[in-house]
Amino acid sequence: MKSYIKLVNFEINRFIKIYVSLLVITLLSQFIGVIVTSSSFMNRAHEVMFEQNLSESGYLHKFGGIDFTDISSTLWFIGPIALCIVALIFYSFMIWYRDWFGKNTFAYRLLMLPTARISLYFSKASAILLFTFGLLAFQILILPLENTLFESLILENFLKTRMDVSVILQSNGILGIVIPPYFSDFLISYGIGMMFVFVLFTSILFERSFRLKGIVLGILYFIAAVLLFLSPLFAMANETVPDLYPEEIFALFLVLGILITGASIAIGNWLISKRVLV
Amino acid sequence: MIEVNQLTKKFGRKKVLDGVTFTANKGEITCLIGINGVGKTTTLKAIMGLTPINKGSILIDGQKINKSMYEKVTFIPDAITMLPQMTIKQAMQFMRDFYKNWNQERATELLTFFKLDEKTRISELSKGNTAKINLLMGLAIDVDYILMDEPFSGIDIFSREQIAEVFTSHLIEDRGVIITTHEINDIEHLIDKVILLDNGIVLKEFNTEQMRQEEGKSVIDVMREVYQG
Repeated sequence: MKSYIKLVNFEINRFIKIYVSLLVITLLSQFIGVIVTSSSFMNRAHEVMFEQNLSESGYLHKFGGIDFTDISSTLWFIGPIALCIVALIFYSFMIWYRDWFGKNTFAYRLLMLPTARISLYFSKASAILLFTFGLLAFQILILPLENTLFESLILENFLKTRMDVSVILQSNGILGIVIPPYFSDFLISYGIGMMFVFVLFTSILFERSFRLKGIVLGILYFIAAVLLFLSPLFAMANETVPDLYPEEIFALFLVLGILITGASIAIGNWLISKRVLV
Repeated sequence: MIEVNQLTKKFGRKKVLDGVTFTANKGEITCLIGINGVGKTTTLKAIMGLTPINKGSILIDGQKINKSMYEKVTFIPDAITMLPQMTIKQAMQFMRDFYKNWNQERATELLTFFKLDEKTRISELSKGNTAKINLLMGLAIDVDYILMDEPFSGIDIFSREQIAEVFTSHLIEDRGVIITTHEINDIEHLIDKVILLDNGIVLKEFNTEQMRQEEGKSVIDVMREVYQG
């Protein structure tokens, strides 16, 4: 357990510079987005009112006001979130491959540590999970600040609605997926996400263990896991299969999710303990 | 004692090791000799559980390799096993964090002996200094057995001399060493046992002292006989 914690700490330290850069990019981009979008809205409103000789109420009647969803759907806002997601997906590969490639074969050292090799697998998965939750927590933390800044930059009459964080999450599709407004949705989204991290790690270990043949095995394993997980959807599309209650569908996905995660960890353990090559 | 018994390893259809059998004792230096590609490194990797084997068995003091064995036996490959961005100090700290039997005193002694600065980054090390740091990382763990893969490969004469000096020091005594090397001249007088490999099989195994006394032959003489007919 002690080694596992040390390994998680080690993995986090290895990515920390890039991770902090991602946080800074997110912070800057979203705050700049709030300032730029709010200011340009107010400037445009004043220009239009001046050009068309409109009062505030006349302008609002004709063009409408603004609320935070107009900000949270801009590239300034969604862009850094997409960047963080892409970076974490890329890092899910890199967290393994950087130990094997290059002149410095750190994989030797990791595999010769006096600890169960599955600790490496879990520490890498835990690092990805912690990075994801860290980004999430950061976004949740800065969202009310951005909202406050937004409301301070927009004249009160021009605000369509005042929104709190939960309303913002519910009204923005992408943000609502990244930060599900309900705890059950959160568990489902991130449970599925974590399951795919384990499936991906096991696929990578297939490649690291059997090289060329392993690429095929890894891809096949990944596809099989995806198909198995989505199999209830295919079954439901078939008219001969009786309709299921939502609770039954949920239970089915839950069982499949646990099964796929368990199998991925078990196969991953076998590969990293017995088959992996350096 | 490390016991390698009928070790067989295939890469695809090619048999790299075909029934390799030998033992290496504690307190002895055993040298695996052979041209490139005969399976020397694969043998060391197999002992360390870094490559799966197809047949045979490997026992270290009667036990199969497992996680606790890594505190009993260490492997010093010919490539550095630390991250390039680490300083030597950070690399030593990493080892101290994970190995209960890391001997900091010995690490400092080796650092002084090799005249290396702990603030130097791994990426800044020359080939010779890389080999020295590799050696340091392996020797500073209080293990019973040390496996070294080509420790003299591609390094300057002065670094070779320094490394060879380590073999005669208290840092090695009482430990069992298995070494693979081409540079037999540097350590010929230190080797206790030689295993000559070719095409994945053991061609000859002999005790160097016995060979010298009974047949008056050096390791190089025997190598010439075996490899050149």
